[in-house]
Amino acid sequence: MRVYIDGVGLYGPGLDSWDEGRLILSGQRPYERRNMPPAPASALSPNERRRCGTTVRLAIQVAEEASIRAGIDATVPSVFASSGGDSEILHNLCETLATTPKDLSPTRFHNSVHNAPVGYWSIAHKATASSTSLSCFDGTFAGGLIEAAVSVLTETGKTLLVVYDLPAPEPLHSACPFICGFGVAFVLARKAGGRSIAALDIELTGDTGNIAVMGNSDLETIRTGNPAARSLTLLEALALDRTAGLKIPYLDDLAVYLTVEPIVHRAQ
Amino acid sequence: MSGLRQQIKEMIVEVLNLEGMAPDGIADETPLFGEGLGLDSIDALELIVEIEKRFGTKIANRDIAATALASVNSIAAFISASKGEAPANQAT
Repeated sequence: MRVYIDGVGLYGPGLDSWDEGRLILSGQRPYERRNMPPAPASALSPNERRRCGTTVRLAIQVAEEASIRAGIDATVPSVFASSGGDSEILHNLCETLATTPKDLSPTRFHNSVHNAPVGYWSIAHKATASSTSLSCFDGTFAGGLIEAAVSVLTETGKTLLVVYDLPAPEPLHSACPFICGFGVAFVLARKAGGRSIAALDIELTGDTGNIAVMGNSDLETIRTGNPAARSLTLLEALALDRTAGLKIPYLDDLAVYLTVEPIVHRAQ
Repeated sequence: MSGLRQQIKEMIVEVLNLEGMAPDGIADETPLFGEGLGLDSIDALELIVEIEKRFGTKIANRDIAATALASVNSIAAFISASKGEAPANQAT
């Protein structure tokens, strides 16, 4: 499958935006690991921002950045992918149900569903476009990328892909030991346009060896420590702005081979 | 009663995650919804659950909620009345 990347959004520890991430991943600026504060998510109204959790804010942050870069509006369908969903809220609900009284917060219950982030996205932009929310454990980035690419090629022409995860509190953390938060978003298109930065060929392969890794040990720790950060090797290829082939993990018996070809826009 | 009002203000700020607002920043008579604090129907639902949890006072229907949740003073009066206590002295 060939699709085109029209916009990127990024939010991770020491990676506050795609602008900053591109400089770091291309080697123009050293990487410095920093704590990741809750994402500003300025697209949300004040009432929605205080009501939603940090997972929603992370998803909205990268979705907004990628959309602005790609110049799309909210009529573009979306795929939101997260391995664990809002684990902080799930933890809180479990804790409440294990104690007395068992009265759940209506807002937290509302936010606990896996498609809550795209709900907030739709409210923020009054969007009525279709959306898909999925989870695929450690293969969530590859799963989301395939779903979004199929959507682009068979239905929509353009699709917003948003992938995000935050570490869970204990005891959920022991089951899904994500070491940090990470969010990434891409706007994928069927045809190359004025904002396209690269062509991306996506191919499933049964050869799961030789998964691409990061040269920087801190970034490699992040790549393996959060399912959304499995996107880092693709982001690095985009930042370096040169043709590259790389494999990303998907399922136990399947991987995804990506070929990245930068698109050079000639000055008018 | 000032202690109860203070508890209510702390509950509102904490439960509704009113970032940047201190409990003392909510006046006793400030309308909580609409032009006042700007809360909405989802916040009302959250307050109804939390009032029952913290104060053991059930708000049975929408009409009662509309009156009881109007301000900090009205919540304090509703809780006091539900517990059979004397009406709260309104702060000025």
